[in-house]
Amino acid sequence: MNPINKTTLHPYSRSVSIIGVGCSPFMNTLDDPETAGLTEGELFGYAAYKAMEDAGIRPKDVDYFFHGEANPFYCSNYITPNIQVSEWFGMRGKGSIHHSEACCTGYLALEEAVNAVASGKYNVVLSGCVEFGDAIVDGTKPSFMRRKFDFFEFQESLKWIYDNTYTREMMCGPNIHQDDGAEWYKAKYGLTDEQMDDTLIHMAINSRRGAVLDPLAISKKTYEEIAKENGFDDVMEYMKSFYNPMMSGNLRASGLELKCDGAAACIVCPTEMVSEFTDKKGIEVLGIGNATREANQPHVEVIGTQEATRQVYELTGVKPEEIDILYANDFFITSQLIAAEIAGYLPEGEGWKYFIDGRTAFDGDKPINTNGGRCSFGHAHAASGMADIYEAVMQMRGECGARQVKKLPKTAFLRGFGGAQNLASIILRTAE
Amino acid sequence: MGVKLERVVKTYYDNLEAGKITGRKCLECGAVEWPPVLVCNTCGCADMEWIEMSGKGKLLQFVMPATITKKDEMKDIKPYVFGVVEVEEGPAVNAMVRGINKKNREEILAKLPVDVHMTIIPRDGYSTVIFDLDEE
Ligand SMILES: [Zn+2]
Repeated sequence: MNPINKTTLHPYSRSVSIIGVGCSPFMNTLDDPETAGLTEGELFGYAAYKAMEDAGIRPKDVDYFFHGEANPFYCSNYITPNIQVSEWFGMRGKGSIHHSEACCTGYLALEEAVNAVASGKYNVVLSGCVEFGDAIVDGTKPSFMRRKFDFFEFQESLKWIYDNTYTREMMCGPNIHQDDGAEWYKAKYGLTDEQMDDTLIHMAINSRRGAVLDPLAISKKTYEEIAKENGFDDVMEYMKSFYNPMMSGNLRASGLELKCDGAAACIVCPTEMVSEFTDKKGIEVLGIGNATREANQPHVEVIGTQEATRQVYELTGVKPEEIDILYANDFFITSQLIAAEIAGYLPEGEGWKYFIDGRTAFDGDKPINTNGGRCSFGHAHAASGMADIYEAVMQMRGECGARQVKKLPKTAFLRGFGGAQNLASIILRTAE
Repeated sequence: MGVKLERVVKTYYDNLEAGKITGRKCLECGAVEWPPVLVCNTCGCADMEWIEMSGKGKLLQFVMPATITKKDEMKDIKPYVFGVVEVEEGPAVNAMVRGINKKNREEILAKLPVDVHMTIIPRDGYSTVIFDLDEE
């Protein structure tokens, strides 16, 4: 169906590894007097400097930085937001570039940094992302004086990620994509509405169990605890009650993103130079597959993910059975199922049962989104993908404490999605 | 031949005002682009000719509108669903489809794919295309 043009990836000119990661709490800054008034420079600077500390380097060691923010003009009133934060983490004067791929920004932020090092141009590159998804600037006052970005205003701004030639005018593309993955899956594998509902509810419960053990996550309570507080002994009964209403054809409130403020960053260098900076093992970026599909096209997420995933498997020779942990940008929670099956991490047509059985939670045998993903960790739009990269690296080092997965992951698969829409399939592996 | 700087979009919308739904057909491989674009996405050739669409299509999948997907500005076309439609000339699109409601949802789901046809509807200062279920 409207097949997309395909690309063959070629090996990097030199291998590149992640040597440092940093991430701020994902939060609604205005809701807490201690965080109300945080600015772009502070959030980005914090995540960037945390990544440098983690890598054991100083700002002078970094050659260049990439800056990602999904909606800088509206939320920050900046057109060149890399410049406006550039003095905040000790890199005054170094070169930088800004990019936005909306909700896919944080995944493609890794792509940018890896390409810059693989080309040979730079040795040490920082890539960071920041978003104020809940606290936007006033426009007439200094950047610490912010106001709430409410759901309706946010929804209104979302239209700018859709084509204004046909897609907005035909009125369907921006509205079908919440449900396209679920409808496609139900029809292909013969699931009932109720089976899909149960699957997506369990997904939310599983993700939340990991998020509450992550101090950076916006969610602080499990669904079991929330159910009890509202007088339900049975969490499923609560999840199907009016407390968790159907918001789209298939998604309940528990299957939608928790938009918020946050920042995350990473440092990459040539794999052969890792030991010059850090005693920790580098996390090698084996490859990144890319595809796009405009929102008027059918099955954007499915077809785009298939192509990006085909590219990265073909390049790396990695087999799906080698994947130990998976992250899917799940602002619509269905993405966990769609991405995991296309990646071959869960068996085709059977993956939904893994969610119902709890096997995809952080303590299951097929962990997905151990930080809670967009519906429990939170969605600071550009920063989310980088927060997933942070989490994958921490899991691969065994540094996740109470939410550490059972078997130390050696190979991770991350599926970026966003911006009506970019798709990216990333494979990371602990360097030997 | 080769690529020409032309107003594809304005031509498409002007044609809609005249009651004609048009697409562009590749002179090299014969693939049709609808809605029309500058260059063929199938073979990459820039030599395209305007054609009038038959207006026929098949609805392959659909979902009902709900809290976050129904919009005030679409009230006038109720009842509608969000559909995946493959048109007779080949291209497929996400498109609005009228004629399905809560009552007949199950029946239509069981019958997919079902025949639909294009309808031009007025919006605020321009026209666009949606689909209606064919009469039984
Ligand atoms: Zn052609």
